[in-house]
Amino acid sequence: MKTKLLYVFLAMALFACKEDDENEPVAPVIPNEEEVITTVRYTLTPSGGGTVKVFQFQDLDGDGGNMPVISGDTLDLNRSYTGSLEFFNELETPADTITNEVLEEGDEHQVFYQNTSGDFVVAYTDTDRNGNPIGLSTTFESRTAGGLLTVILRHEPNKTATGVPGGDITNAGGETDIEVVFPVNVR
Amino acid sequence: MFGKFPFFLFLIFISFSSHAQTCELKILGKVVDKNSLKSIEFASVYVEELVQGTVSDFSGNFEIKNLCPGEYHLVVRHIGCETQNVLFTLTSDTLWTVYVEHGSQLLNEVTVENHAQESKSQELEVLSSKDINRQLSKNLGQALENISGVSAIKNGNGVAKPVVHGLYGNRLTILNNGIAQSGQQWGFDHAPEIDPLLANRITVIKGVGAVEFMGNSLGSVILVEPKKIEKEPHLHGMARYFFNSNGLGNGVNVELQQYHKWLAWKVNGTLKKSGDAKTPDYFLTNTGIEEYNFAVELEKQITAKWTTNLYYSSFNTKIGILRGSHVGNLTDLKAAFESEQPFFTQKEFSYDIQNPRQEVNHHLFKASSKYLFSEQAWIEFVYAKQLNYRKEFDVRRGDRDDMPALSLDQESDFFEAKFHYYFKNEWHLKAGFQTNRVNNQNIPETGILPLIPNYLTTERGGFLIAARDFEKMKLEFGARVEEEVRKVASISNTVPRKVLNFENRYLNYTASLGMLYTFSEQFSMNYNVGFATRNPEVNELYSNGLHQGVSGIEEGDINLSSENAIKNTLSFTTKKKDRLFVEVLIYHQYIQDYIYLQAQDEFRLTIRGAFPVFRYEQADAQIYGLDLVTKYQINEKWLTELNYSFIQGNEIDDNTALINLPSNSILSTTSFQIPQVKSLKNVELEMIHKYVFEQTNITKDQDFVVPPDGYYLLGFRASAEKQFKSIRLGGHVGVENALNAKYRDYLNRQRYFADEVGRNLTVGAVVSF
Repeated sequence: MKTKLLYVFLAMALFACKEDDENEPVAPVIPNEEEVITTVRYTLTPSGGGTVKVFQFQDLDGDGGNMPVISGDTLDLNRSYTGSLEFFNELETPADTITNEVLEEGDEHQVFYQNTSGDFVVAYTDTDRNGNPIGLSTTFESRTAGGLLTVILRHEPNKTATGVPGGDITNAGGETDIEVVFPVNVR
Repeated sequence: MFGKFPFFLFLIFISFSSHAQTCELKILGKVVDKNSLKSIEFASVYVEELVQGTVSDFSGNFEIKNLCPGEYHLVVRHIGCETQNVLFTLTSDTLWTVYVEHGSQLLNEVTVENHAQESKSQELEVLSSKDINRQLSKNLGQALENISGVSAIKNGNGVAKPVVHGLYGNRLTILNNGIAQSGQQWGFDHAPEIDPLLANRITVIKGVGAVEFMGNSLGSVILVEPKKIEKEPHLHGMARYFFNSNGLGNGVNVELQQYHKWLAWKVNGTLKKSGDAKTPDYFLTNTGIEEYNFAVELEKQITAKWTTNLYYSSFNTKIGILRGSHVGNLTDLKAAFESEQPFFTQKEFSYDIQNPRQEVNHHLFKASSKYLFSEQAWIEFVYAKQLNYRKEFDVRRGDRDDMPALSLDQESDFFEAKFHYYFKNEWHLKAGFQTNRVNNQNIPETGILPLIPNYLTTERGGFLIAARDFEKMKLEFGARVEEEVRKVASISNTVPRKVLNFENRYLNYTASLGMLYTFSEQFSMNYNVGFATRNPEVNELYSNGLHQGVSGIEEGDINLSSENAIKNTLSFTTKKKDRLFVEVLIYHQYIQDYIYLQAQDEFRLTIRGAFPVFRYEQADAQIYGLDLVTKYQINEKWLTELNYSFIQGNEIDDNTALINLPSNSILSTTSFQIPQVKSLKNVELEMIHKYVFEQTNITKDQDFVVPPDGYYLLGFRASAEKQFKSIRLGGHVGVENALNAKYRDYLNRQRYFADEVGRNLTVGAVVSF
């Protein structure tokens, strides 16, 4: 009895020890990264016609990997523009327009525009279902000085907090989905 | 170690009369202290079948008369000791000596050992769950937190992982019923998937006692052990309930067991639910927890020499993560820190668990078989399978709230064969080998590049332990060697995305030497030295990308080498009669090539803004400290305890302090104990003070914000027991953070966003039969 059992145990032990180095890990499935935003494009169309100005932030491989590419533009002195902000996911082919998702959930999102010189005036021209601004459509006025324009997209901010409907981010809270900085020249 | 047998009750039955008489039998008993052999008075002995009991007299004697031959359930109680139940088969007059380790209440219930000795008290499985019963609502990390030298690293209140002498996660092995817990061990926010209520004993091994166990421990080991099924033919059980006022938490646990001749069984189940906890000023919105756990154990004595045991346990939890702790970038983090209260704080309490949340399931199946060749030699085989499913849900755009942001499945298969041999000349040998296979994979449902790659690890190891008992000294030597082969398949973070394959091979060694020297009844010394290696983990090698939770880019380094550590612990224990107990433990651990996250002089630009870059680097480091445990029995009624933990750690080269090391702390408990008040037994009133010092070693540039101030917490607890026929009832009421102190803790990641939990009233009840 005793020896028989021992054989059983030894067989179990050998079985457990068998070489299984040839096994491979489960091959990872490359995810469909549909939520990623790779590209932010702010297009300024001058009132009364003229060259359309384009500011773009593009990070084609998402966070990490290669560095993003940022392109600025030069605006005219004391000019009014109609601003349009768009988001794309260029990891997808064809590129996915994320702007629609943000627009659909307009009440959960708001874009804020900040500038260093104080010489750009940005005003909201769109509203969500509650009548609060979203910030995808704007008017933009240049004066004499250039500077840096920061565009911030917040998810679930407090859209009715003091100053927030007017574009002041101070009391907005929420999470930052996008924060990009564009160099703006004025000439 | 004295810590081996807390609440030690040892029973000897001696028949001194063989002629049975009808209902005139008696039990003559004596209760004595195990060490001093001094008589103990006021121990109560209760016979359930008679619904009556007696108390030991001045000289420790008691007598139970007029018993019929048959079976009796006896309950022996002594203040400070866990109540013990014994099934007594009475055929003749019996002399019964009850050895009580009276000084045992001077020891922690959650045993602190410095040395993995084999002389485990398997035959004396009466080790209590008293301390676990006092903190029914706590998770494993919280339950261990008050032990000297042990703390918990947390993400909010629901996620706590134990830290022993500064090491946690991948550097600390946690054994659940003898099996190394296999789950996601990396990061702050993955707590061990173990229900402490399924256990009756939790052991922390602080030295290098890990030789016997597989895993990556650099020293310390935590053993979570369920109690063996009592050899008792009747159905017995226990029901436990708790309530927490803060978070309106409720929980029940039920345990039933029976030792049938043909099959012994035990089942245990837990249900817990709590809602948003509250700081002194505001609710911690979305910090609810739901948990249901279940375990079943079957044991079959196949022959007199062969026992087989099957065990299955399932742990399932859903944990809310503070809504305000979900941030998009560094600006958000700073704003959150400066804000009076976290963003998204609701005015109303709620049980709702929204995103961010975690859903974790863990299953353990274990089959073990033990064959005794003789009293001196036995062999044991264990097979265990673990399944670990972890899903973490984030606040996401679009309809993606039910789409996990992280979804990992881990499957592991473990096999072990162990051989024990006791030689007649006091030598004890133990040898064994283990294999383990871990298959970790990302479930492709997240729509996000995974943080941790898929991998398959095969580990094989063997160990040998030799121990010898001398008259005044115990010596133990152990060595272990382990091979690890890991195959990794990750996804590139450049486009086009492609699968990258890696293979790692490591050889890990562990060796330890332990010595316990007993100078006298009162004084002993324990020295332990151990060497261990730990190979780099997957996250340390292959992390690459934005870890949004910590607002940083984390980069692994595929060239990391294994850590080599030498740990020395030296402790002195003084025990003066049953009055005073002092244990001083000093330790030093030198870790060559310690792997840590180093902040780089670099910010990386992403679409969410610029993030600081942290890279896994290696440097030689040391961790050292002191644990002090003192207990003083002032008189029959008053007992006072004081624990102090000091810990410090730095890189050797430039003296930079190591991050995430616990703060120094002091814990003091004063209790007033009365064996009997009317029909209440073991009445105890306690006052608990805790002071945690500020972590002053961390400099400003090592963290986003400076560590929080020190804090003081005051608590009270009252507990008592009562016997109704064959049912025993125990209960306690208490208050934690009685002063409603507003504070933050350095080891809680939630400190960036919110205060800790405020005042909490607790109620607990234990009914057993």
